[in-house]
Amino acid sequence: MDLNFDLMARSFPLLLAGAGITVEITAMSVTLGLCIGCLVGIARLCSVKPLRYLANVYVDFIRGTPLLVQIFLVYFALPGLTGSRVDPYFAAISACSINSGAYIAEIFRAGIQSIDKGQMEAGRSLGMSWSQTMRYIIMPQAFKRIIPPLGNEFIAMLKDSSLVSVIGFEELTRRGQLIIARTYASFEIWMAVAIIYLIMTFAVARLVGVLERRYDTK
Amino acid sequence: MSKTMIQITDLHKSFGDLEVLRGVNLNIAEKEVVVIIGPSGSGKSTLLRCINYLEEPTGGSIVIDGIPLTGEANINEIRKEVGMVFQRFNLFPHMTVLQNLMLAPMKVRGIAKDEAEQTARTYLKKVGLEDKANSYPEQLSGGQQQRVAIARALCMKPKALLFDEPTSALDPEMVNEVLDVMKELANEGMTMAVVTHEMGFAREVGDRVVFVDGGVIQEEGTPEEIFQHAKCERTKSFLSKIL
Repeated sequence: MDLNFDLMARSFPLLLAGAGITVEITAMSVTLGLCIGCLVGIARLCSVKPLRYLANVYVDFIRGTPLLVQIFLVYFALPGLTGSRVDPYFAAISACSINSGAYIAEIFRAGIQSIDKGQMEAGRSLGMSWSQTMRYIIMPQAFKRIIPPLGNEFIAMLKDSSLVSVIGFEELTRRGQLIIARTYASFEIWMAVAIIYLIMTFAVARLVGVLERRYDTK
Repeated sequence: MSKTMIQITDLHKSFGDLEVLRGVNLNIAEKEVVVIIGPSGSGKSTLLRCINYLEEPTGGSIVIDGIPLTGEANINEIRKEVGMVFQRFNLFPHMTVLQNLMLAPMKVRGIAKDEAEQTARTYLKKVGLEDKANSYPEQLSGGQQQRVAIARALCMKPKALLFDEPTSALDPEMVNEVLDVMKELANEGMTMAVVTHEMGFAREVGDRVVFVDGGVIQEEGTPEEIFQHAKCERTKSFLSKIL
């Protein structure tokens, strides 16, 4: 089999631009997911029953259904309700961040629960409110502990964002598909796409490692 | 004696079917040091934790400095005035010693940073750790951590301090440095309720010793009355095992 290295090289700039978009939607989804996850994670632990119930339903639904189906729900099913077309960019970001939020909520919940009960008691016994203790004492400690699982979530989202290619959103995987449609060079292009994903996930893993070490050594 | 600082009436606490406190009545006067002793599982820690509402009482009333404790409604107000020192120190590991001391005065009392730092340094000096202001808790020994915890409680300028077995998690050689700080506080007129197994401390510093067993106060009196002339059989048998 003859490998067309020249085509690989020529496709690289196009693919890299797609990779940029992959990074962008991943970063945006995980950032939004962090906000959702932080709130939902706390809601799952709070004493207000309806709030806890809602949070549980959200996490169960998202974790129990495929991301691909969630993307379809936002992109194809939502217009049926609202009557107007959904922008692919909006669909991609909202589906991914709602998905990521559920997993991050679980990460937050576990992180908060891993903090010794005495910390909350110490904060409360000094007269601080529950939310003050959460903010100044529990969350900063929990955050340190959840850096590794958050890194995993970021890497997972980086790869799973390839699913938004099915709604025509031109991120890395979709770019690859489009190039192959023109050139029929499946092997070269998919190899190139895989290598770019690998480089990105590897870089993120290293970055998380650096963060872990920084927060670990005082 | 002077006015009553902590007034506990018919206090009950159950954990499910387990009744830990079965009607405790205890008054602690201002500037009084009450030492609570008793076998493990007798409810003495629970009693102390109820005063700070870390456990919600199932019955009875607690009045602190004339204000009835009504649960979540005024608990933060009460806790401002009643400091707590824990067996396991519970310092905030992500903050320096100084930050540990300054956080609550700034966030709860709204004290300015400069003033909070000044107060913090004063109390650090008092517990003999002014050189550890910028250390992190994990860099300190157990005894040092507990002294920081005491200083942290003092920074809120509480009217009373509760000690929940403050020396039980310490290596033996560090017990005295903590007890010395507590002694000094007692001499300065701090109102204190101390749950402890340190009978020497109870005898020397306590104004009153309370023996708790089976969820009720079995006997109370001056250290001499309890340690030399105990009337209750349970008290005698407990003391004979540990003295």
